[in-house]
Amino acid sequence: MKKILTLMLVISITAAVNAQDFKTDIASARTNYAAGKLSDAHFNIEQAMQELDLIVGKEVLKILPAKMDTLNVNTTDDHVMSNSGFLGANIHRSYGNMMAYRTGGKMAEISIVTNSPLISSLNAFLNTPLLGSMMNTDKSKSIKVQGYKGRLENSTNTTGQTDYTIEVPLSNTLITFKITNSTDTEILNLVNTVPLQQIAKLLQ
Amino acid sequence: MKKFIFSAAACIAFVCLIQTQGHAQFLKKLKDKVAQKIADAAGVPANTTNSTTANSQPGTGINNSSNNGGPANTMGGGLKNTPPPDVNQNINDAEKATGTADYNGARYALQQAMTGLEIELGRQLIQSLPATVDGLNKDTAKNLVQSTQYGWSNLIIQTAYSDGKNKQLKMTIGNNPVYAGIVNMYFNNAAMVQSSGDNNQKMKQVRVKGNQALIQFDANTGYQVLMQLGQSSMITWDCVNFPTEDEVMTTVNTFDIDGIKKTMGEQ
Repeated sequence: MKKILTLMLVISITAAVNAQDFKTDIASARTNYAAGKLSDAHFNIEQAMQELDLIVGKEVLKILPAKMDTLNVNTTDDHVMSNSGFLGANIHRSYGNMMAYRTGGKMAEISIVTNSPLISSLNAFLNTPLLGSMMNTDKSKSIKVQGYKGRLENSTNTTGQTDYTIEVPLSNTLITFKITNSTDTEILNLVNTVPLQQIAKLLQ
Repeated sequence: MKKFIFSAAACIAFVCLIQTQGHAQFLKKLKDKVAQKIADAAGVPANTTNSTTANSQPGTGINNSSNNGGPANTMGGGLKNTPPPDVNQNINDAEKATGTADYNGARYALQQAMTGLEIELGRQLIQSLPATVDGLNKDTAKNLVQSTQYGWSNLIIQTAYSDGKNKQLKMTIGNNPVYAGIVNMYFNNAAMVQSSGDNNQKMKQVRVKGNQALIQFDANTGYQVLMQLGQSSMITWDCVNFPTEDEVMTTVNTFDIDGIKKTMGEQ
């Protein structure tokens, strides 16, 4: 509980810092535009867009589950990256112990990438019957998560256990959920705790 | 004898077939002409009276190819030429939207503000270019400023100078790190800029007011000068019907490159 509260506090403080930067960039854009410095105003707006991506990323982190079954969130591994102009926000969170994973333990991670270049090929897989049926094997299949189409894949890792990955495209955003040493039932249960609709609303 | 009868029968059958086809075509032409006369008398364009015929008769002069058998559109004034987005208004909207946690609205407003800024900047830049170069006048009908909203990555500013006949200089200023990088690729690849030694050089390095540039010639399109502008922009001059390379270089050197750099925020 204490960990969750600390996490919420850290996220709130960083979001407040980003909001402050956003306001500064907006104010500079306004001043530069009024002074006829168009290229400077342009740079300020570009910066403001990146700040906005960071703010939205922090908001997404707030609504992600703080725990995945028995796996606790790694607060130090949370990160949001903004690349306004090409790729948008890149949000990442992990659960469980990385050291435990190396010795055959369990670890999960969520990554959310807006404007992902992988979206088109994934959509082709999900929406082209021929392609979908050709690629539906014991290693990969189409699924539905909270009403959204997605792809479930599994692979055997170096310790001989099975890792699972679910990819869900939400408009131009790709959500990838991975868990090691798991089963398809478990990953489907866990991915259902991720509020996809709320994430889509924030990132659209 | 048998062979002769068979050949004659084949000939007769072939002639009949041609006649039948010709007869059908004749009837169809006649039918179209009647339809045309009726339409003319009624004051209605022929393509609205019988679109099926029009579709099945390409080359009749009836233009109904774009509507798949439906009535052809004859009305509508096109889209209104809306002014570029208001920068101040959109900056205010973005600020307000962020205050109410409407992040989609904020992003949209910022993109609009950016588009407005880029269009304004492009127009300023075009206006700052000389009215005449090498005896060619600026053709304002060919001015173009295009922005794609995505953060300075695909702004295109274009204008053209012409003598009103066949001599033209088209100037394009683009802001796209990818394209700009391509010019750099030429500078760093000797194989792409050196002559093959056969006195038929198609491309070489030059300088435009101290800036690295490339000039190339193509018999069909004329001379082209490409110059990298700062970190992420590029200028191209397409010179059609210029007699010599020297005239091209003199002409491109009349532009205020430092002024363009300053406007584009490049160093």
